[in-house]
Amino acid sequence: MSGLRERLGRLRQDSSVNPVTPAQPEQQASEQEALSEGQDLPAGFRQIGVEQISNESGQFLLRRIEYSLPYRHGRYDLGELLACAPHLHPIAMRQNQQSEAIDIKRLLFLDTETTGLGVGTGNVPFMIGYGYYTDQSFIVEQTLIRHPGEEKAMLTYLLGRMKDKSHLVTYNGRTFDWPVLVNRFILNGWRRSGAEPGHIDFLHPSRALWRNTLPSCRLSTVEEARLGIQRGHDVPGSLAPALYFQYLSDGNPAHLHGVYAHNEKDILTLASLSVHFGLLLGGEGASDEGIEAAEGEELFRTACWLEQHGAQETAERLFALLNDMEEQGDGSGWSLALAARYKRAGQHDRALKLWRRSAELAEGSTVPKLDAHVELAMYYEHRDKQLIRALTYAEKALELAQRRARLLSDATKRKAERESLLHRVARLRDKVARERK
Amino acid sequence: MNPWTHKTESVEEWLGLLRSRPELMENVTFWHTEPARPPRTVRLPDAINPKLARALSLKGITNLYTHQAASFHAVNQCRHVVTVTPTASGKTLCYNLPVIQKLLEDDSARALYLFPTKALAQDQVAELQELANLMEVDIKTATYDGDTPPTVRQAIRNAGHIVVTNPDMLHSAILPHHTKWVKLFENIKYIIIDELHAYRGVFGSHVANVIRRLKRICRFYGSEPQFLCASATIRNPQEHAERLIGEQVALVDDNGAPTGEKHMVFYNPPVVNKQLGIRRSSVLESQKLAAMLLKSGIQTIVFARSRVRVEILLTYLQENIKHELGTKSIRGYRGGYLPKLRREIEKGLRNGEIRGVVSTNALELGIDIGQLQACVLNGYPGTIASTWQQSGRAGRRQGSSVTFLVASSNPLDQYLIQNPDYFLGRPPEEARIHPDNLLILLDHLKCAAYELPFEEGDTFGGEKLTDLLEFLAEEKVLHRVGNRWYWMEQAFPAHNISLRSAAQENFVIIDQTEGHRVLGEVDRFSAPTLIHEEAIYLHEGVQYQVEKLDYPEKKAYVREVNVDYFTDANLAVELKVLHVDLESTDGPLERQYGEVTVMAKPTIFKKIRLRTHENIGSGPIHLPEEILHTSGYWFSFSEEEAGKRSANDMQMALLGLANVLIHLAPLHLMCDPLDIRVVPQVKALHTKRPTIYFYDRYPGGIGLSQRLYEKHGELLDEAERLIQGCGCLSGCPACVGPIEEVGLLGKDLALSLLQGTRASS
Repeated sequence: MSGLRERLGRLRQDSSVNPVTPAQPEQQASEQEALSEGQDLPAGFRQIGVEQISNESGQFLLRRIEYSLPYRHGRYDLGELLACAPHLHPIAMRQNQQSEAIDIKRLLFLDTETTGLGVGTGNVPFMIGYGYYTDQSFIVEQTLIRHPGEEKAMLTYLLGRMKDKSHLVTYNGRTFDWPVLVNRFILNGWRRSGAEPGHIDFLHPSRALWRNTLPSCRLSTVEEARLGIQRGHDVPGSLAPALYFQYLSDGNPAHLHGVYAHNEKDILTLASLSVHFGLLLGGEGASDEGIEAAEGEELFRTACWLEQHGAQETAERLFALLNDMEEQGDGSGWSLALAARYKRAGQHDRALKLWRRSAELAEGSTVPKLDAHVELAMYYEHRDKQLIRALTYAEKALELAQRRARLLSDATKRKAERESLLHRVARLRDKVARERK
Repeated sequence: MNPWTHKTESVEEWLGLLRSRPELMENVTFWHTEPARPPRTVRLPDAINPKLARALSLKGITNLYTHQAASFHAVNQCRHVVTVTPTASGKTLCYNLPVIQKLLEDDSARALYLFPTKALAQDQVAELQELANLMEVDIKTATYDGDTPPTVRQAIRNAGHIVVTNPDMLHSAILPHHTKWVKLFENIKYIIIDELHAYRGVFGSHVANVIRRLKRICRFYGSEPQFLCASATIRNPQEHAERLIGEQVALVDDNGAPTGEKHMVFYNPPVVNKQLGIRRSSVLESQKLAAMLLKSGIQTIVFARSRVRVEILLTYLQENIKHELGTKSIRGYRGGYLPKLRREIEKGLRNGEIRGVVSTNALELGIDIGQLQACVLNGYPGTIASTWQQSGRAGRRQGSSVTFLVASSNPLDQYLIQNPDYFLGRPPEEARIHPDNLLILLDHLKCAAYELPFEEGDTFGGEKLTDLLEFLAEEKVLHRVGNRWYWMEQAFPAHNISLRSAAQENFVIIDQTEGHRVLGEVDRFSAPTLIHEEAIYLHEGVQYQVEKLDYPEKKAYVREVNVDYFTDANLAVELKVLHVDLESTDGPLERQYGEVTVMAKPTIFKKIRLRTHENIGSGPIHLPEEILHTSGYWFSFSEEEAGKRSANDMQMALLGLANVLIHLAPLHLMCDPLDIRVVPQVKALHTKRPTIYFYDRYPGGIGLSQRLYEKHGELLDEAERLIQGCGCLSGCPACVGPIEEVGLLGKDLALSLLQGTRASS
C-alpha cells in the first residue's frame, strides 16, 4: 500500500470536492496585526458594534441595536404592535392548539442563519438574531459564533433570552429554525424538559393570503410587495453560509457585515409583519387602502383566512366588498367561489344572485363554464323545488358541455361530466313527468 | 401418476419417472442424496418469560431447536452473537426470543432490526406483531423506510419498541437525524443484523461503515447495544461478522432444524457438435426440466443468472405450459419489478396459486415465499454459498425435494459439473469486505462528521484518523478548532452516497406504448449495456425496444415490440497502472498488485436470434466513457516467452487464458461475477509485455483482485486442469472460448503458454 498521504493526494486530483478559494494572506496578516495591538476584537467587528460576551459555557459575540419607538419600517410603525399584539391570539391558538393571551413583552422574534439547508444534525446555526419589545423600544440582538466551539455559550445565552418569553415569532421557524436549534441543544447534551415555547410562524398565514398573488412567499418578496419595505443592497440569505465559510477560512469579519445587516432586517420585518396581521385581525387593516385595492383573489383568500381565525365581522365585510366588485363586473371571476361560500353559510339569496350572473356570463362565452348552471339546477331541484326551472338549467348545462367539448379535448374528464349531466337531466325529466300526472 | 391429470403424488414418485427415462438420465452426471434429518430439540429454557412461553406454545412451539437455545444462552451471556443456519430453520426466533424477553422485562428498552431489503422488513413486522398479539402485550413494532408515511414517522421515532429498517435508511435518514431518535438511541439494547452474508463486497464495505457510525451515535447517547446477527452458510461467518461490526462475536452454528430428503442432481446438456464443443443451450434444458416438473404439479422455482435470462426462460415456460396451467401461474421475479408486483408474486407463491417462478438471485434472500418442492438452477449461481441458498428454496421439513444444477457452457460450470467432489467437498466461499477502501471510508467519515464532531483520539476504521480529518479540513469540508473537527459545508453528505453501488442513481425505464408508465429500473453500471438505444429490454416476458436513452436525466424510453431477437452489447476497455503496491516474480511470470485506472466505453451491440442464438446484425452505441479508479492484479510473461510466438498467436493464447481465468476467479471470491473483470493485452503499456489484468469493478477496489493476487498459483493450476480436462478438440465455450473468438488453435496456444510458465517455474 502506498502511503495514506500519497493516496489521498491522488484522490484529490479526481475528487469531486470543489476547493473553496484559499485564504488571502494579506487579510490574515492585517487581522493578526489588529489582535497584536492588544484589542480583544478585530476592528471589523467593533465598527459594527459587536462585543464579546462570556458566560459559564464559554464565549461568543453579541451585537445589540436599539430602535426607539416610534420607528417606521416600511408601511408600519413598529410601535403599532404595542396596541394590536393581542389580536394575534387566534394565530397562536391555531398553531399551538392552545395559547395564553398575547403579551407583547413576552414575544421573542427569532431568525437564524445556518451553515446549510434542512434540519439534519450537521446544519449549524452560526448566527441567531432576536428581537423583543421594551416599553420604549424594539431591541435587536444578534449572537455569532466565531467557530463551532463557541456554540454552547451562544445556546446558553439563547435559553436565557427565552426564559420569560411565551412565543417565538418567526418566518418558517416552526419547521426550520426551532428544530435546528433543538438539534443543537441535544448535541450539547441537553434534553427536553418543561413546556415547548409557543409559535407564531407567519409563513403559514402569508401562504394562505398570497400563495397565488405573489410570485413567491419568501420573506423578501412579501415585505417588498405588502409591507412597503425596500432592502436596497441586501446580501441574500442563501449566500450567508458561503460568507461564513469565508470568514472561517481567513478570519476577516468584513465578510459577515452583509449577513449581520440581512439578519437585522429580517428581525425588523418580522415585527412589521406582526403589525400587519395584528391590524388585519383587529379589523383595522381591512379598511386600509391596500386591501381595497387588492385583486379579487387576495380579497377572497384574506376573507376566508379571517373567517377561519374568528374575525367574522371583518371577513363578512370583505366578502361583501368582493360581492360588489363581482356585481360591477370587475371581481375577475370570483363569483362562483364566493357563491359557494355563501351557500355554505346558508345565505342562499346572495349565492343565487351570483350564480345567475355567472350563468348569464357563461351563456355568452365561447368556452363556457357549466358550474353555475349545475349549481342552479341543484338549487331549484332540491331547495326551491321548481323542477321545470331545474330541468331548464340542466339541459342548458348539457348544451354548454357540448359546445365546450368541441373546443377542448380532455376526453376522460369531459365524459364523466357529460354522463353525470345526462343522468341529472334524465332524473329531472322523470320527476317532472311524474308531477304532471 | 394420475393417468388423467398427469400429476404425481410426490417428488419421490416424480424422480422415479425421471430414472425411467434414459434419454434424460444420460445427461445426469451426478446424483447426490442428502438423507432426511430429524429435529434436535431442547426444552424451552426456564429463563423464558412465562408470557412469551405461553405465546410460543399457542403457536405450537414447546421446544427449541438446538441452535435457537444456544443463541438464547449466548445472548444472555452478554455477547455479540452470529447464528448460522440454512433457509427455513427458524432462525428469526434466535434473535426474536432475547429481544422480546428483554422488552417484557423493560418497557423502555429498544431494538433496531436491519434487513438488506424492504420486503424482508415487512415479513418481520408481521411475525413480531403476531407474537405480541398472542402475548396480549403492547410491543410496538414498525418498519421505518422510504414507504413509511410521514404522519406516523414521529410516533415510530418516539414510541416504537422495535424499529425495522434497512442500512440505506439508517444511512440517509436515521443517523443524520439522530437527534429525533433520542428515545431509541438512549435505550437501545439490541441491534439485529439478519442476512449478514448479503453485506459483502462494496455493499458490505459501506454497511460496515454505517455500523461504525451507528456505534458512534450509540456511544454519544450512552448506550452499548448487543449485536445479534444471522447469516446463511458461508465459510467465515464469525470473521465476517467481526469485520462488519468491529467487535468480537460468538458463533452459533449447531443447526437442529429437521429437513426432508434432498436430491442434488447435476445435469449437463448433451453435446450437439463435438468438433466445436457446443452443448445444447442450458436455457432450453432448464426450461424442459422445469416444464416437466410443473406439468406434474410440483411447485418449482427456477433461478437464472441474469435479468435477461429470467425473462427469456419465463417466455419459453409460459408458452410451453399454457395449456396445462394459465400463464398467470408462472411468474418472473427480479430486481426492477416494482414492489407491489413483487408482493403479489410472493403471496401467490405462499398460498400456492402461483405454481412456478423464474427468478434472479433476488429470491435468494429470506423473503417469505414458503417452501417449494423443486428448484432448477440455470447455470451455476457463481458461488457454492449461493447454490446452497438457492437450492434451500426447495425443501420442506417433510417429504423430498430436488434441485437440478443445469450447467451452462461457461468454463466454471463445466469445471464444477465434471468435478462434483470439488463442489461437495468444499466449504462455501468467504464473504469479504474492505471497509477501509479509502473512498468508501472518506464518504462515511464525512457523514459521521456531519452527525457528530470528531475529537482527537477518536477512531473510525483502520486508517490513521487524524490524517484523514486533516485532509478533509484542507478540502474545506471540516473545520478544525483545537482538537475537534466540525462539519462545515452546506451539503447533506448522505444524499450523495449510495450504499448499493458506485452509481447512485438508477435509470428509470418508461414505457410509452400507451401513455407513460414506469416499467422498472436499471442500475447505472448496467445501463450502457442493457438499455442503450435500440436495445431489446425484456420485462415480464414482454419485449420492449429502447427508443431513446436520456443519459443525463437517467431515463430510458421504451416501446413494446415483437421481434425474434435479443441484444448483447460489447464494452471496450483501456487500462492504466497508477501505482504498484505488491509484486513478486515467479519464474518467467511477474505479478503485481496495485492501483489502476480503467476507461470503459460501450462500442457496438449484436442482435441475436432467439432460440438459435445466431448473430443477425449489429449497431453502434454512442455513450460517454466511464472512468474507474480501482485496484487491480496483473501478471505478465517474459520477453522470452513472448518471443516464442507471433503476436497473433499470443493474442489468441492470452484471450483464451483470460477467458478461463475470469470464469474460475469466483471459486475464490464471494462476489457477483461482474464485480471482477479481466483485460488481456499483448503488449501492455505498463509492463511492455504480454499481460493479463484483473480489476475490481468498484472505485478504490474492494479487495477482490488482492485476493486473486494471493491465490495466483492455485488459479493457474485450476486453469490448466480445466483446459486439459475439456473434451473439445480445439477450444469451446466451456474452456478457452469458442473458436470464432480464439481461433482454431486457441486451446493449444493457451495451454502451451500456461505450461511453458509452469515447467520453468
